[in-house]
Amino acid sequence: MDFRPLNDTERQKLIDALRGNAQSSQAILMNQRDTSFAGSADEMSDDEVISAIKSVPCHYAA
Amino acid sequence: MLQSLWKAGWRRVQLWAESLRAAPPAPFETPEPSRVVYQSIQRFTVRDGVCQTLFDDFAQHRRTQRGDEEIGWVLLGRREARAIHVLATLPAGAQRESSVTHVRFNAAAQAVASRILRQQDKSLGIVGIVHTHPGSLRHPSTGDFQGDSQWVTRLRGQEGVFAIGTADAQGASGQLVAAQPHRQILGSLAFSWYALAHGDLRYRKMPLELTLGDDLAKPLHPVWPVLERHAESLDRVMQLLSRVQAEPTRHESRAGLLLRIPLPGDGSALKVLLEGDQMRYYVESPRGLTALDPPVGPLDRSMFLILAELANA
Repeated sequence: MDFRPLNDTERQKLIDALRGNAQSSQAILMNQRDTSFAGSADEMSDDEVISAIKSVPCHYAA
Repeated sequence: MLQSLWKAGWRRVQLWAESLRAAPPAPFETPEPSRVVYQSIQRFTVRDGVCQTLFDDFAQHRRTQRGDEEIGWVLLGRREARAIHVLATLPAGAQRESSVTHVRFNAAAQAVASRILRQQDKSLGIVGIVHTHPGSLRHPSTGDFQGDSQWVTRLRGQEGVFAIGTADAQGASGQLVAAQPHRQILGSLAFSWYALAHGDLRYRKMPLELTLGDDLAKPLHPVWPVLERHAESLDRVMQLLSRVQAEPTRHESRAGLLLRIPLPGDGSALKVLLEGDQMRYYVESPRGLTALDPPVGPLDRSMFLILAELANA
């Protein structure tokens, strides 16, 4: 386990992620291997997702 | 003299106090939550449960009467700055339009399924498409490129992952093998993975990493016929009622979908159980469960009639 202090960039990313989580429930991602902080993910609106699904093109074998 | 000194001193204290009131501490400026700057995909992971679903569904599809037709799935997952993680599969559905040479998914059921899955995690989005080809065409076709190259503009980062399933492999049954970094084989079935970004002239082979985890959409697959049957009504209900919760159920080997709409007040809820072509309505309250018998009609109309009656009660 690495217990070194975070550098400035890592600290700012973590602060931004925690703030985003507190203010707008933005997901905080965790590294599956060692449970370390792995960034944050932007939320997507339902409309954005549904629009992408409904516009999936027909797929052809030629 | 002492009195004037006292007055001057008191005045200074008053001015100091006023200055504190006049200049309150600056409010803490909270910046907007960080926006991810998307770049070309460097890392691509797929849950082992997702791979299992793809191979199982493909094998099962080939045993059906429509087994010669193309089949496919929409991939749901998470997009990070330089990575895509595939977490769930949304099947094409029995109401897909397909032949030996093409497939168009039933998007209505997939849309409802995405609403159900995203009740728990709003960072889940569409990250790619898988479909199969007859014969040994392991690469997306020219027709695929024409559609996909436009469609990726709707994705975060304007880039997506695509896989082609074929049944031309000669692998060992029961053993998943990475024949190439971008190609997986299980028995006679294979999936070859690619990435395509907006502006690309061609797909590029995409090496994948397997990660441990279930296919998040797998519990919904047995109830897909219900999703397809009621897709339009479910979509309307889930758009209009933000607190509706949907979850798959299983009763005496029958797969169903249970909707729960909390009612204001004492913790009561309207519950709707969808099984096959059956729709059952209940009100759950601290006094128990009461069955309701609304006029026969579409799911959303019956639900709103019941809610209107409950509001008048």
